[in-house]
Amino acid sequence: MKKRDIGRRGFLKGAGVAALGTSAGPVVAQPAQAPPSSSGAPPPNIAAETLPPADLAQQQSSSGGDFMVDVLKTIGFDYVTQTPASTFRGLHEAIVNHGGNKAPELLSCVHEEIAVAMAHGYAKIENKPLAVMVQSTVGLQHASMALYNAFCDQAPIYMIAGNLVDTTKRLFGFEFAHAAIDPAVIVRDFLKWDDQPGSLQHFSESAIRAYKIAMTPPYGPVLLSVDGELQENPIPNRAALTIAPVARVAPPQGDSAAVAETAALLVRSENPVIVADRLARTQKGMDMLVELAETLQCPVIDAGGRSNFPTRHPLNHSGRSGAVLAQADVVVGLEVNDYFNTIHALSDRIERHSRQITKPGARLINITARELFPKSNNQEFGRYQPIDLSIAADGEETLPLLIEQVKRLVDAERKTAFEARGKRLESTHHAMIEQWKSDATIGWDASPITLARLCAELYDQIKGDDWSLVGNGIRVTWPRRLWHFDKTYRWIGSSGGAGVGYNVAASLGAALANRKYGRLSVTIQGDGDLMFSPGTLWTAAHHNIPILYVMHNNRAWHQELMYLQAMANRHGRGVENAHIGSTITDPNIDFAMMAKSMGVYAEGPITKPGDIAPALKRALAVVRKGQPALVDVITDPR
Amino acid sequence: MKKTALALIVMTAPVLFLAPSWAQPKGDAANGRKVYLADGCYQCHGRVGQGGLMTGPAPILAQTKMPFAAFHRQLRNPINDMPPYPENLLSEKEVADIYAFLQSLPGRRPVKDIPILNNN
Repeated sequence: MKKRDIGRRGFLKGAGVAALGTSAGPVVAQPAQAPPSSSGAPPPNIAAETLPPADLAQQQSSSGGDFMVDVLKTIGFDYVTQTPASTFRGLHEAIVNHGGNKAPELLSCVHEEIAVAMAHGYAKIENKPLAVMVQSTVGLQHASMALYNAFCDQAPIYMIAGNLVDTTKRLFGFEFAHAAIDPAVIVRDFLKWDDQPGSLQHFSESAIRAYKIAMTPPYGPVLLSVDGELQENPIPNRAALTIAPVARVAPPQGDSAAVAETAALLVRSENPVIVADRLARTQKGMDMLVELAETLQCPVIDAGGRSNFPTRHPLNHSGRSGAVLAQADVVVGLEVNDYFNTIHALSDRIERHSRQITKPGARLINITARELFPKSNNQEFGRYQPIDLSIAADGEETLPLLIEQVKRLVDAERKTAFEARGKRLESTHHAMIEQWKSDATIGWDASPITLARLCAELYDQIKGDDWSLVGNGIRVTWPRRLWHFDKTYRWIGSSGGAGVGYNVAASLGAALANRKYGRLSVTIQGDGDLMFSPGTLWTAAHHNIPILYVMHNNRAWHQELMYLQAMANRHGRGVENAHIGSTITDPNIDFAMMAKSMGVYAEGPITKPGDIAPALKRALAVVRKGQPALVDVITDPR
Repeated sequence: MKKTALALIVMTAPVLFLAPSWAQPKGDAANGRKVYLADGCYQCHGRVGQGGLMTGPAPILAQTKMPFAAFHRQLRNPINDMPPYPENLLSEKEVADIYAFLQSLPGRRPVKDIPILNNN
């Protein structure tokens, strides 16, 4: 059979010819012939008038997509999430056939927002991105919300957007609607970097560069717009194409003089406080923060952007942040994104106002790589906070030097003072934990179920496993009060952009990453959030990703409902109408039925506290066998 | 010490001079429960006064130790982000009824009686 490498549009047209001229067997281009007319007049030559030249070949032995897969394998992607689309069909086919659908393995998502949010959650467990393929216009717009969350959360996301650059190679109307001269423009405000390679060698170089940029702190999303022709056309000379090795990235470390100054302030201080937010990229980050805090015997506030500090460590004073900050004479932030918010009490009244919590004269320091990558349009960087020393560097990477400098300065006198301070803090910490346990008993047997009861029951079922809380969509505080988070993977932080719809899919992405480590992934799932991307449950079942969704089902977008009450009472109008537009009732959603319809084991709705534990036991048995499950619990609102 | 005393006077002055009557009225707890639910108090503070979270913590109200005068003032002219409940929305009687309801709630239990709270 004749083989001739042709372009994608030629291939399409050739296939059409073959369909007219042959029935089965090897496909060879044939001119279409109409039967002779009864009048004896020569039949019209359809092929000559409407079809492409007959000698166009039907098959090709290589493609740009194959080469792109070789690049993706070199980078080391384990997975590619995607919702299928024609503009990346060449790469799609190459992944599943040329690449053998292994490393990367293709994962199916029913919405691009799910594909990106899964990548977001995955990256925070695995500390590296997976790849996401989207269509360049409609697909990327679907993906944009999740991409914004990842940008705000400083998560590495690797986007590949299929595009059709050459107008003469677009055929159908939708292919014009699915093409753009600059696809990335709609999301560039929340990308670290993007490119639209003009050749395969360009793709190779930009793909490696994109990965390096995404993985250099501060992490962030990158995007390659990849032309359909480039994916599908044959490769003229594969041997001429090269793929560079992926560079090891050394994150930026703080200036040694500035770090030494920070260490001196910490050692001299009577009441130093450390605030950690998106600090711990790895377990080493948590371990080093413990070492620093124990050396200083100072309180740590874990703002929760990552799991930075063990919740049961006696120096963890996150639950009394206002009190410790009010006493502080030195505050050292580690990857604190919103320093102003951290040290101010804010009031959402008719006239909004803020009050600084820290004492006048308290020395404020921040160590964050975020300073190295400012953007202007979206305002997620928060209000400007004047501070004394801003160290533009990665927090985790700077900790070894800071610890070394602190240890060098601690003499016997300071050590004695630190030990006394540590004892006081330990005592306060234990009192705080006991207070929280007592608080949790209020309404223990109430229905709707209190969140304290729900979280206590859940922890009781998982505490013997190597568990990971991969989502907590509406900032339920009870896990951090009642559970012992002692590893970075116990908690992955929140959405970053507070974009609803993150939790359900990011949790699944984190669970995907946890799967190979045998960890038990659980998530506390809001009903409003689930309804943004319910199709995530199908992906969980389809790809056998073990995760337990425990619904915090308050049948409302409850934060908004509370805001409505505040607005109504501000006008003296009462709260009778606050539920309009802010509740998810009439009809109530049967989440268990929804989950079952997509192949997920489910129970609920559960309304009696005594029914939670048995339901969790049954659902967790399913999860421990490698499947997803959902337990719908009707809860009190907050 | 002097500063503390001054601060106390400043803090309590509105209670002493602006309140209509600060003897704790006898409230109707059953009606208080109805009003507590109908007027949305539970949306932030929980149905059994267990507390919750809005933009900041919504305090525990079950068996609140807050004196009635302070409770009344917080409803009429709240500090922090709590919505105000003026008299056209909540009568004096209803304030007293809610207070009675909160005092009638079971509140805390001994932690030792709940094994799963003692496992870590």
